[in-house]
Amino acid sequence: MTRLPLPIVAAMAFLAAPPAAAAPTAWITNQGGHSVSVVDLGTNRVSATLPVGKSPAGVVAVPKAGKVFVTTPDDNAVSVIDMTTRRVLAALPAGGGAVGIDASPDGRRVYVADWYGRQLLGFDTASHAEVLRVPLGQAPAGVAVAGDGRHVFVAERDDNRVAVVDAAAARVVARVAVGEHPFALLHDAPRRRLYALNVYSNDVSAIDVSAPAAPRVVGTVRVGKAPYGAALAAGGTRLYVTNQRDDSVTVIDPDTLASVQTLSGFGYPEGIASVGDRVWVVNWMDENLVELEAATGKRLRSVTLGSNPRGFGAFIGDPAP
Amino acid sequence: MLSRWLAALALLGFATHAALAHGPTRQKVVEKVTIDAPADAVWAQIKDFDALAKWHPAVEASPADKGNAEGSVRKLKLKGGGALTETLERYNADGKSYGYRAADGGALPVTNYTSTITVSADGAKSVVEWRGAFYRGFPNNDPPADQNDEAAVKAVTGVYQAGLANLKKLVEKK
Repeated sequence: MTRLPLPIVAAMAFLAAPPAAAAPTAWITNQGGHSVSVVDLGTNRVSATLPVGKSPAGVVAVPKAGKVFVTTPDDNAVSVIDMTTRRVLAALPAGGGAVGIDASPDGRRVYVADWYGRQLLGFDTASHAEVLRVPLGQAPAGVAVAGDGRHVFVAERDDNRVAVVDAAAARVVARVAVGEHPFALLHDAPRRRLYALNVYSNDVSAIDVSAPAAPRVVGTVRVGKAPYGAALAAGGTRLYVTNQRDDSVTVIDPDTLASVQTLSGFGYPEGIASVGDRVWVVNWMDENLVELEAATGKRLRSVTLGSNPRGFGAFIGDPAP
Repeated sequence: MLSRWLAALALLGFATHAALAHGPTRQKVVEKVTIDAPADAVWAQIKDFDALAKWHPAVEASPADKGNAEGSVRKLKLKGGGALTETLERYNADGKSYGYRAADGGALPVTNYTSTITVSADGAKSVVEWRGAFYRGFPNNDPPADQNDEAAVKAVTGVYQAGLANLKKLVEKK
């Protein structure tokens, strides 16, 4: 085996490396603008605004697939965006009103709640083929996939419960009663727990899903009015919850399930996501993305988004190397 | 024969329509006015939840059952007819702001309506911001013109603009 000259090795290493110090990228749905704002979170700048389907709401960035999936309930579809080229690749028909969306941990599938069609749909992230269709209860909203990739949780908002779908068996295997009108769900993989945000009862149900088919509510945390979005931050030691109608964010210690801080000064906050030591909050009323320090909740800076931004889902992601 | 075709087409049309059914999306209105008066003076004019009739030109009466306590319900009687029931959800005297929620079925063509009014200092002047979030009056597909998104936005915009213009006039006259 001949040795390659050093400069060539160095050049190859450079080519193989992911984009140097790739800043995290946010993909925020602008429901009023029918677009997605692509935000470079390192420079705090909108680097592109991509037209998608009508009234985009839900979003999941899937690094392992190199794609972002966006639900567009007003044309009953899911728009697929290529993270690298930032082009819309496809619009997948998705029942009668796609809302919440989440991806399996291996990035091979996305699951979509169909609000009016009362079902969960599954799509292959490579082929874009529909691979699952499971009937559900009333007003399926938020979706979260379990750590095993097999069980999918869906908030059946108007039934005040969460359904557990076994994606392999293509059926609901369990249901658990939560607070009033659960909308968003968040899976906490290290704690094998699910959080359901109850819009009417203004609280968060913490559900033990260590046995996904036997979910059990283990606690309830009071938050502000109309909790809408949740994110784990600061290495999973903090749970951030946006309260739409209080213009506030509640910070919870997930270990004690106690509220430790309430941050004010938001404008109808909705979507929320975290990477590293930062948290980003989408403000629907103020049409901006606010950056916070995860450990303290301190407000750092903000950037302007499109019309009526929602960012409902895991909106941060870059192509996996 | 033809009528059967028509019936079949209508059926098909209906089916397609149902399959495409989608709901309304949340709308908003944000209106601001700059008033040539200190924020304290402007807040004094609007701070009481039941004071709306004293500064909004379209409101005849606005009694509230529990004053400025959260949960207080005010019953608006509009000049020329119409009523609205609103519940105080947030009251922040330090921040010169309060927020309320309207019961559906009132005089505005909206549902699920919440609103916040805030006074901020801007040097020796002040800025009043009034903002609302709501859905249109018609909950399903294909709303009639008087209950669509545009009608809802127009109605709420009208309420805010008229109120803020009159508030400015009242405070600056003092």
